[in-house]
Amino acid sequence: MNLRNSRSVGACSLLNGIEKQDADSRRKRKIAEITQALNTTPVDVAVLRRMAISEGGLLTDEIRCKVWPRLLNIPVESIPEQLEEVQRENNKDYNQVLLDVQRSLRRFPPGMPDEQREGLQEELIDIILRVLHKNPQLHYYQGYHDIVVTFLLVLGECLATALVEKLSTHHLRDFMDPTMDNTKHILNYLMPIIERVNPDVYDFMQQAEVGTIFALSWLITWFGHVLADFRHVVRLYDFFLACHPLMPIYFAAVIVLYREEEVLDCECDMAMLHHLLSQIPQDLPYETLISRAGDLFVQFPPSELAKEATQQHSLESPASTSEDVQSARRRRKEQLRPPQQQQQRNPVEVQRSALAVVQPTARRIMRLAVMGLTVALGAAALAMVNSALEWAPKLDLLFP
Amino acid sequence: MTDAESSLEFSTSLTSSLLPPPRTRIFKIIVIGDSGVGKTCLTYRFCAGKFPDKTEATIGVDFREKVIEIDGEKIKVQLWDTAGQERFRKSMVQHYYRNVHAVVFVYDVTSAASFRSLPAWIEECRQHALGQEVPRILVGNKCDLRHAAQVSTELAQQFADAHSMPLFETSAKNPHGAEDGSHNHSDHVEAIFMTVAHKLKSQKPLVLSQPAVGNTVTLRRQDEGEEPRANWGCNCWRS
Ligand SMILES: Nc1nc2c(ncn2[C@@H]2O[C@H](COP(=O)(O)OP(=O)(O)OP(=O)(O)O)[C@@H](O)[C@H]2O)c(=O)[nH]1
Ligand SMILES: [Mg+2]
Repeated sequence: MNLRNSRSVGACSLLNGIEKQDADSRRKRKIAEITQALNTTPVDVAVLRRMAISEGGLLTDEIRCKVWPRLLNIPVESIPEQLEEVQRENNKDYNQVLLDVQRSLRRFPPGMPDEQREGLQEELIDIILRVLHKNPQLHYYQGYHDIVVTFLLVLGECLATALVEKLSTHHLRDFMDPTMDNTKHILNYLMPIIERVNPDVYDFMQQAEVGTIFALSWLITWFGHVLADFRHVVRLYDFFLACHPLMPIYFAAVIVLYREEEVLDCECDMAMLHHLLSQIPQDLPYETLISRAGDLFVQFPPSELAKEATQQHSLESPASTSEDVQSARRRRKEQLRPPQQQQQRNPVEVQRSALAVVQPTARRIMRLAVMGLTVALGAAALAMVNSALEWAPKLDLLFP
Repeated sequence: MTDAESSLEFSTSLTSSLLPPPRTRIFKIIVIGDSGVGKTCLTYRFCAGKFPDKTEATIGVDFREKVIEIDGEKIKVQLWDTAGQERFRKSMVQHYYRNVHAVVFVYDVTSAASFRSLPAWIEECRQHALGQEVPRILVGNKCDLRHAAQVSTELAQQFADAHSMPLFETSAKNPHGAEDGSHNHSDHVEAIFMTVAHKLKSQKPLVLSQPAVGNTVTLRRQDEGEEPRANWGCNCWRS
């Protein structure tokens, strides 16, 4: 894979001028399409998904305020204008949240006056505590605040509260378990994706025993913790909100693969490689990487990787004798096959069954260009929010 | 790692070690303790030589490195700065306990809770099968906030003795000594990590002398002629 070469560079200023006009008119066209999708009854969520994924994403925060709730299937009318009071003192997570929010200065625009920032930090604490209080099954993790701050800055406190709550019970649900076991399981999807695309990089990483923790903060903050430029963060959020909850792990894989040369040039050593990988370059070609991640998702859907991800898990267990390995594997299998009830609330599991439904159209999807592919996965992601039944006819609408 | 400054610092140290003498020795030190005690600030202070102006919550494990020289030998000190929140402990950072040469336990002298967590951190180490021969030290951080101290030196010293660890009280923010302006040019944070490095280099078993509680040792810089190794035995430094 050579993503670098796929970036064309405008040769002369005349060309640049034309390109700019082109970009301007594309942008105008996109805004018009989004407006139209928002104004049809019912709102055309499929189009909005496509817009969120395709080049440039949702373009402005103003549009995001209107479209993000739709991507999460939240009826805007239902959002209360009054927020509930927050009990700070009796909250078990208050101290940790406070500590993390106080240290989140980098997440706010550099020029923002202190007073305004401090006000927003208070709101940030309130949103987090409110959502946690209403959903006692959710557990706070360090990094959750990096996600919530993005919603706060784009949407304001009221809308942000509603969206964060929905997101926390869907896309982020696995991260908010009492333990991080499910999060670790999701990280286990990373290496199988890399192996499929570039076995050399995979072998190198395995040999260095680098592990996957370098991608932990990427995954559980949707890259909000590691990207300095807020515009890049919201662009990624457009993408992730429109997609399957596992998409961030595909995006993580794409970043590693994009850095193939650096990785292979690195000392084959856990520390060196961990350090190299955890340092995200700030000038990534986001649009290219986004469509690449969409490609990989369709080529290697989670259902196909699930088995290896599980094996990865048992390989990593610190069992020394083969007998230990065997029993560890058996134990893991049992853990990984949760009871039916639990399966339903696990996004990964839900999606696995949703993908089974997608199979008849899979062949056609394969033949579509990247854009077409990403439309398909946008539709697949819809299954997350709606039920699989509701979603199936929508796919027919997309591919008549 | 999001710490732009520390990455800058790191890349210079990487460049300077681009052509290391064959087989530079590496000392791998893991830094653990509750969230907010100052693990990131301490490791940053050692590697970059200053207090970071902004830190963020550590998610997972961050890595910092510094090349030092002991008796003419260049040694890479690798610091693994771990997340303090309990949920990250069990499954997440286990991988990074592998082949660790030394452990630094950190508590915050202004937080009794962070001190009370130490047994859990010691247990954590035990579960990761770190042998007794792996040197451990106890660091009480934020000594610049003495007025707000909740953990007395005596109490900390008792705990350290009970677990055969030397105790260091220091501050990542102001490791040069008292706020009253009295001059002590040595940087305790640097000295603490250097002491661990010396300990590892000498690879002699940890010898602990037991000076009277409250006995303050003024640490001089290495180039002032004192061998930091000799200080391993004194289990309390205060800034
Ligand atoms: N006054 C004072 N404040 C300190 C000192 N060291 C750290 N701090 C502050 O304590 C807070 C936490 O410091 P960190 O280094 O981020 O704590 P940590 O142990 O890495 O926390 P986690 O990453 O959450 O596990 C920050 O606001 C620091 O500015 C110190 O020596 N003195
Ligand atoms: Mg930290």
